[in-house]
Amino acid sequence: MKTSRRRGPFGSALRHALLLVALVFPAARLSAHDIPRDVTVQAFAKPEGRTMRLLMRVPLKAIMDIEFPRRERDYVDLSRVDQALRDAATVWLSNKIEIYEGDTLLENPRIVSTRMSLESDRSFGAYEDALAHVTGPTLPADTTIFWEQGLLDVLFEYPIQSDRSRFSIHAAFDRLALSVITALRFLPPGGVVRAYELPGDAGLIRLDPRWHQAAMRFVGLGFFHILDGIDHLLFLLCLVIPFRRARALIPIVTSFTVAHSITLIASAYNYAPNALWFPPLIETLIAMSIVYMALENIVAARLARRWIITFLFGLVHGFGFSFGLEHTLQFAGSHLLTSLLSFNVGVELGQLLVLALLVPALEVLFRFVVAERMGTIILSALIAHTGLHWMAERFGVLRQFPWPTVTAAGLAGGVRWLTIIVALAAITWLVFVLTQRSSRPGAGETAVGAEK
Amino acid sequence: MSNLTRRRNLVVGAGFGALLVMLAVGQTVLEKTAAAQSKAGVQAPRFEVDPLWPKPLPNHWILGSAIGVWVDADDHIWIIHRSSATLGNNEKPLEMGTGECCAGAPPVLEFDQAGNLLRHWGGPGAGYEWPDSNHGIFIDHKGNVWIGGNGGPDSHVLKFTKDGKFLMQSGKKGARRKTGAAAGGNEGDVAGFVGGSNDEVSFGRVAKIFVDARANEAYIADGYLNKRVAVLDADTGKLKRFWGAYGNKPDDTPLPAYDPAAPPAQQFRNPVHCADMSVDRLLYVCDRVGDRLQVFTPEGKFVKEAFFAKNTKNAGSVWDIAFSKDPQQKYIFMADGVNEKVKVVDRQTLQELTTFGDGGRQPGQFYGVHSIAIDSKGNLYTTETYEGKRLQKFVYKGMAAVTKANQGTTWPGTR
Repeated sequence: MKTSRRRGPFGSALRHALLLVALVFPAARLSAHDIPRDVTVQAFAKPEGRTMRLLMRVPLKAIMDIEFPRRERDYVDLSRVDQALRDAATVWLSNKIEIYEGDTLLENPRIVSTRMSLESDRSFGAYEDALAHVTGPTLPADTTIFWEQGLLDVLFEYPIQSDRSRFSIHAAFDRLALSVITALRFLPPGGVVRAYELPGDAGLIRLDPRWHQAAMRFVGLGFFHILDGIDHLLFLLCLVIPFRRARALIPIVTSFTVAHSITLIASAYNYAPNALWFPPLIETLIAMSIVYMALENIVAARLARRWIITFLFGLVHGFGFSFGLEHTLQFAGSHLLTSLLSFNVGVELGQLLVLALLVPALEVLFRFVVAERMGTIILSALIAHTGLHWMAERFGVLRQFPWPTVTAAGLAGGVRWLTIIVALAAITWLVFVLTQRSSRPGAGETAVGAEK
Repeated sequence: MSNLTRRRNLVVGAGFGALLVMLAVGQTVLEKTAAAQSKAGVQAPRFEVDPLWPKPLPNHWILGSAIGVWVDADDHIWIIHRSSATLGNNEKPLEMGTGECCAGAPPVLEFDQAGNLLRHWGGPGAGYEWPDSNHGIFIDHKGNVWIGGNGGPDSHVLKFTKDGKFLMQSGKKGARRKTGAAAGGNEGDVAGFVGGSNDEVSFGRVAKIFVDARANEAYIADGYLNKRVAVLDADTGKLKRFWGAYGNKPDDTPLPAYDPAAPPAQQFRNPVHCADMSVDRLLYVCDRVGDRLQVFTPEGKFVKEAFFAKNTKNAGSVWDIAFSKDPQQKYIFMADGVNEKVKVVDRQTLQELTTFGDGGRQPGQFYGVHSIAIDSKGNLYTTETYEGKRLQKFVYKGMAAVTKANQGTTWPGTR
C-alpha cells in the first residue's frame, strides 16, 4: 500500500496562488483568525456502484487562509461564495484525505456540490437528508450570515471499481483546530451503518476490515492493554507467587482466561449494567481481588481452591477489560466476536510474556535472596498494602453514587445476573464432581510448601 | 464412588436445578411487574447538580448578577452578567486598585462542556449603545448573539457575532424617557420613564430574546417597562407585530398590586420575562409577577395559560423556561427565583410534576435563580441574579418515577 500523502496538482497550484496573494496583498486582507479550540467534522462515506460519495460538513471557523467574499458587516456574499467554498473544500478537506480501495489509493475526488449552511442546520443527522441538503437549493442570496459562523458542506465523488471493495480512510484533520473529532459514518451496501469517532489524525482506518485485519488490530490492543494495566499485572503476580510450575499454572491461567472472556464478551454484547456506578464497583472489586489473593498467599494457598476463586475474580477482571475496549470496538467492522476473541488472545499473549518474566524472576528471588515462604509473605504483604490503598480510593469513588432505587425492573436485572452466577456455579460444581470422579483421591491438593 | 457421595451429588444437583427454576419464575414475575409499573405512575426527568462545573475563571474574575444563559449549536454555554455594576467594593479590590482580588469578568462569557471559559467580551463600543443593565442572552440559528437590557433608559436590543463584533441595534436607548425628564436614570429609577407598549421602533427594558429560525423572526419579551411581546425581522430589526396578555392590545396603565385571589389581569405585569417558542411553534410567555405562563400562536392568538405557585408575591414565580430535548419537548423546566426552585412541568397539560432545588449558597441551591437553558444532552444550566451571581449545571440523569413534589437540593449521591 502506498503510504505517501497525496497532493493533487490543483491543491499545489492553489497553495502557490495563496502564497502569492499573501505576499502581494497586506495580511489584513486575508481572513486571519484564531485557530479554534475544538471542531467537529461530520462525514458520510457511501460506496454505490462505481462511485464513492463522501459528504462532509466542517465549520468555517476552522478554515484558514481562504478569503470569502463579503458584503456589509462582514456578512458572506452568498452570490459570489461558490469558488471560495470549492477552494476551501479542496485545500482543507480533500487534500487531507486519502481513501484506499483495497491497497490502491483513489484519485482526486470530483467536487459535485458545495453549500454554505447555517450552524443550526440539522440535515447531517442522516445520509439521505445530508445528500438532499448538499444537492438541494442554496441559501437565499440575501441571507445574512457572518462568515465565521457558517458551515461548509461538500459532496465529493471518487471513482471506484466496486462498492463491494474493502475501503480504508486516512483523514488528517488535526490542523483544523486544537481538538478535532471526525464523526464518520460508513454506509456499505446492505444497509449496515458503521460509525467512527476519530481524533484529529487517527491514521489509516479500515472501514470494513477483513477478519484477519480486525484480529491483528485487536490482538495488539489486548496485548498492550494487559501490559498497561498495573492492577491486572499485580493480580497475576499474586496468582503465581506460590504456583510456578506448569502443572499448577495451566489450570489457574486457563480459569482466569475463560472467566474474563465470558464477561468481556457479555459486556461487548451489552449484557453488563449500563450504570455510572458499575465501573467504580468493578474497579473496587478488582482491588479487592488483589488484596484477597495476597492475603491467601500469606495464610496458605491451595491449588484446588485457587482456580475456582481465580475464575470468580476473572469474571470481575473481564468487566475491567471491557472498559478499556469500549471506545475501540468501532474498528471491529463486522467481526465483533473475532475482534473480542482476538483481544483476549492479545491479553493472553501479554499475560504469557509477563509470566515468562515473572516466574524465573521469582525462582531466582526465592533461591538466592530470600526463602520461599518468607519471600511469599513479604511480596504478598507489599501487594496487599498497595491493593488496600486502591480499594479505599476506589470505594471512595463508588460511595459517591447513590444506591440504585429498588424497582421491579432493577430486581429483574439482578435476578438475571443471579441466574447466570448460579448457572456458572452449577457448571463449576459439575466440572469439580467429574474431575473428582476421574482422579485419584488427594490429587490436585497441593499446599504451598509442597509445590516445589 | 460411594452411595453416600452419589446421593449427596444428586441432592446438590437437584438443588441447583430447583434454584434455577425458581429464579426463572421470579424473573418472569418481576419483568411483568416492571412492565406494569412503567405504564402507571408519573415519570419526569431527573437531575443532579455538578458541583465542579464550571471551572474557576481566570484573571481573578468574578461574576456579577447573572441574568441570562443560552446554549449554542456547539453545546457551548453562553451567559451574560452585570459584572462590576453589581459588585460591591469589597468584592472587587483588584479592580479598585486596593487589593489582589477580584475584578468583574467581561459581561458575555462562553464556556465549553468541560466548563472552560472560552470567549469573553462585552461593554460599550463604537456604533451601538450598550445597555445600562444588560439582561438576557440568546444565540440564534446563524450563530449571532442577542442581548437585551433592563436599565433605566434601556429600550433596545443588540446583535453581535460570537466574537463580539457588532451587527445590529434595534430600538434606541432612552426612548422611554418622559418628555422633559432629566437624562440619566438607573435601574429602578422609573420616575423619569414611562411604558410605550405600542411603540413601533423602540422597546421598554427588554428581558429576553428568542429567534425563530424558520421565520427568521425575533420574539422580544418586552419587558420591565413595556407589557408586550414584540416580533422583529431578525435581519433588519424592524418591528412586525406585537401583543399583550391574552393577545390584547397592550395598555401601559398601571395595574394594582398582584392579588392571587383577584381575577387574572388582562394585561401583563412587569416584567414580561421570557418569550420562547416550542417545536410545535407555540410561544410561551413568562408573566413573572403574575405567576403565570401564557401560550400563543406565532401571530399572537392566545391559546392557554397556567398559574404556578400562585400565592407568590413580589418578584413572582415564573421567571424563565427551557424546553426538554426530546423531539416533542414534553417538559418545560421553569426557573422560580422567589421560591428558589426549578419546576418540571408537563408541556401539554401545563401541570407541575415535581420541582428541585432550594434556597442557599451550596451547589444545587439557589439565590435568585433567574435564567435557565438546556444543552443537546438534556443538561440544564441556571444563572442567579441578586447576590447569587452564579452559573450552575444540572446533569440529566434520565427519567425517574416522581416520588416527591419537591426533591430539594439535588446533591449527587443523596438519593
